Amino acid sequence: MRDIHIKIRNLTKRFGDVVALDKVSLEIERGSFATFLGPSGCGKTTTLRLLAGFYSADEGEIFFGDRCVNEVPSHKRNATMVFQDYALFPHMTIFENVSYGLKIMKLQTKEIEERVEKTLKFLGLEGLRDRTPGMISGGQQQRAALARALIMEPEVLLLDEPLSNLDAKLRVNIRAELRQIQKSLGITTVYVTHDQEEALAISDSIAVMNKGKVVQFGPPWEIYYRPKNTFVADFVGVANFIRGKVSEITSQNIFVNIEDQTLSLMNHQYQVSTGQRVVLNIRPETILMSKQIPESHSNVLSGKIKTHTFVGQFIRYWVTSGRREFIVDLHDPSSIGILNGDVYLQLPSSKLHLLPAED
Amino acid sequence: MIKVLREPLLLIILLLVFLGLGFFVLYPMASVLTYPGLQDFLSVPKNPRYLRAIYNTFIMVMLSTSSAIIVGFLFAYTFTRTNVPLKKILRIISLLPLFSPPFMISFSYILMFGRNGLISYTLLGHRFDIIGWHGLWLSETIAFFPLAALIMEGVLQSIPPSLEYAGRNLGATGLKLFRTITLPLARPGVAGAALLVAIYVLADFGNPIMIAGSFTVLPTEAWARVSGWGDVTGAAVLTSILLMPAFLFFLFQRYWVGKRQYTTITGKVTLMDIPPTKWYIRWSLFIFCTIFSLLILCIFFGLIAGAFTKGWGFDYTPTLKHWQHVFSYSKPLTNSLYFALIAALVSSSFAMVSAYLVCRKKFIARRALDFAAILPAAIPGVFFGIGYSLSFNTPPLDLYGTSLIIIFSMIFWNIPIGYQTAYGGFQQIASSLGEAASNLGAGSLRIFWDIELPLLKSAYISAFIVSYIRAVTTLSVIIFLVTSTNIVATFQILNLVNDGFIGQGAALTTALLLLTFLILGCARFLFGRKIELFRI
Repeated sequence: MRDIHIKIRNLTKRFGDVVALDKVSLEIERGSFATFLGPSGCGKTTTLRLLAGFYSADEGEIFFGDRCVNEVPSHKRNATMVFQDYALFPHMTIFENVSYGLKIMKLQTKEIEERVEKTLKFLGLEGLRDRTPGMISGGQQQRAALARALIMEPEVLLLDEPLSNLDAKLRVNIRAELRQIQKSLGITTVYVTHDQEEALAISDSIAVMNKGKVVQFGPPWEIYYRPKNTFVADFVGVANFIRGKVSEITSQNIFVNIEDQTLSLMNHQYQVSTGQRVVLNIRPETILMSKQIPESHSNVLSGKIKTHTFVGQFIRYWVTSGRREFIVDLHDPSSIGILNGDVYLQLPSSKLHLLPAED
Repeated sequence: MIKVLREPLLLIILLLVFLGLGFFVLYPMASVLTYPGLQDFLSVPKNPRYLRAIYNTFIMVMLSTSSAIIVGFLFAYTFTRTNVPLKKILRIISLLPLFSPPFMISFSYILMFGRNGLISYTLLGHRFDIIGWHGLWLSETIAFFPLAALIMEGVLQSIPPSLEYAGRNLGATGLKLFRTITLPLARPGVAGAALLVAIYVLADFGNPIMIAGSFTVLPTEAWARVSGWGDVTGAAVLTSILLMPAFLFFLFQRYWVGKRQYTTITGKVTLMDIPPTKWYIRWSLFIFCTIFSLLILCIFFGLIAGAFTKGWGFDYTPTLKHWQHVFSYSKPLTNSLYFALIAALVSSSFAMVSAYLVCRKKFIARRALDFAAILPAAIPGVFFGIGYSLSFNTPPLDLYGTSLIIIFSMIFWNIPIGYQTAYGGFQQIASSLGEAASNLGAGSLRIFWDIELPLLKSAYISAFIVSYIRAVTTLSVIIFLVTSTNIVATFQILNLVNDGFIGQGAALTTALLLLTFLILGCARFLFGRKIELFRI
């Protein structure tokens, strides 16, 4: 049986006339790493702040285990947070910052010393205990903020875009480090980001949000390859959409008419009926592209390369095929060189994903 | 509201703050406004003395505000946009009037340029009479241009230099650049400064009482009603008339200009090289600023010289006898010191707590609290003083002749100083710091004590010093409240000058000035250069 740690039920939050969060419900497993992902203004930070207790809910409940925490004030929730700007107290040393929560708990000085020492060591901050936040680097500040949150041995760890102020390389390193720490401590963690790559890399499950609602909640793999609608497909990763109409359904395959031709895709228990308008989605890296016509003729489109951009680990092509345009990523460009002119695109039936058509 | 209710201590503090502001700001205001009957207000147009005071006040507001703004702007422009020699010294001199009692300028100008003046008579042999509207105009210009300069310096600094560089880049130079880029961008700031200065000119009591002679303005006429005829009703009517424009200017400044200004003023000051100014502009500005700086230095010179001179105007023998008087009768001076210290301490603390509540807590009537805390900034000192004399000389709270009535008036008159400083301070502290502390288990008061207070230390000290200076130098607020038992230095100086004891008056003013700079020196010594004074 799943061990649910955080349960959110019909959570609604309004700011004046603006509905920031609209009847959100979801469940997060104990010890897992859950990420709220979405564009700015989608309600992800609002959700986090509701969990932290900085806002109070207009409707709905939040449960930590069996305990409803709606009425529990922020300083009694034991859900510590790492802030986007770290919010390290500028007038205190790193030691004072990290020990702040323990002091409020009125622990013995000796115990505080020991725990701070341990935590600073764990996060590689030993030498910095007497510095003030202004005297250390961004990455170190980020770790100090994490130390301050972790030392409380919180029930829930909340992270509000904690990596967004770091430069790209550091971000990737600390991301891995953060995931490692979370796994080793087994703390249920809620993370907020607008960076889809970060979300995919770090999470056990992702809640994609848009306009105050959770659009899809599931593991990264599912979010990426089985998005529920065009918003998720488009927001997470790069999507190629092909509009069409279902022409035939078998237990194995679904056939979709796209104007001049029919594409087949594997039937993953899609709830569709013949004649229904649908959108097909395929990721750029799963499209096969070649100068020669492929041996198998199914799902092959002819096209012409419009332009390309060289990104290093792959080349991205924009290919026009009839009135459509496809984005195709070819890896290992060194072996093929840069293509141009007329090409053939093959869309593997196992890589095509079916989405409901939107108006 | 629910959140506040959950913390009973906070609720009690909130109630105390409301009670304090209600009882010591709103209640005295209401007392003045309701003291005269409707008939008294309606008969104003029939009283030629009143009409003259209104007319004179109007004239002075126009004249002094315009001149203070022009001088202030030129100073601000010189400091921010040119490289004149002695810039630092000129700037420090230009700030000095902010630290001195307002009447000191008039007093000193009488000594320098009056009928027996050192410069006008002794050196130049002219029986030139500075008493009257022109003397008042000069004094008020000198008294208030530093404030204008300070505000407009902020405005000019907040205009990103890149905009002016962009203008130059597109071919605008000199006057054209100034007229098409700099001035339009500074306009809201200049308007804000003008309104603020106008409020100060309206409320000015010290200068007109010293130097205006028979040229009465509303505050001095109100004082004359009480001191000459015992006509409190008349004084209440006159100060109520005074309150109206002051209040309007205040509203306009805060809610219209203030809003437009705020966003730019808080922006970080970007340091960029000052592009060169044409030599004749630079030197004209230098000469201009030097002349006004000399006029300021004159004040201090005249005063200190007066304090050590036997008989001003006819016998310039040095003497210390005025100081014997100051020390043998030191009560006004010690009273001033104690009252102002206590008032500044309580006022800035009260203001700090109010600002904390408004900035960090959600409760009903939050905006009302905000308004009440800045309201005294709109109230002319004489109005405030009359309010206190009407409200607290009778039960339920009879404070007649006590130190408390003076201290209370100083506390609440200065609330906006501390409040605005603290408010700005709170805005600068990222709200995530408080949330982080709360997140780690700290309750409201703990957050205030551990996080916000230490970070606001320098703001608090600045507020304390400015409140202290304003309290120790005020004449208008206390003039209706002093008796022989709670007399303060400023009032004693006025008496001495009126009775012709020029030397003693000068000595006492010098002593008062020393007290101000003493506190300032202490603060600098204790807290270093972090203390920003008069940040508007």
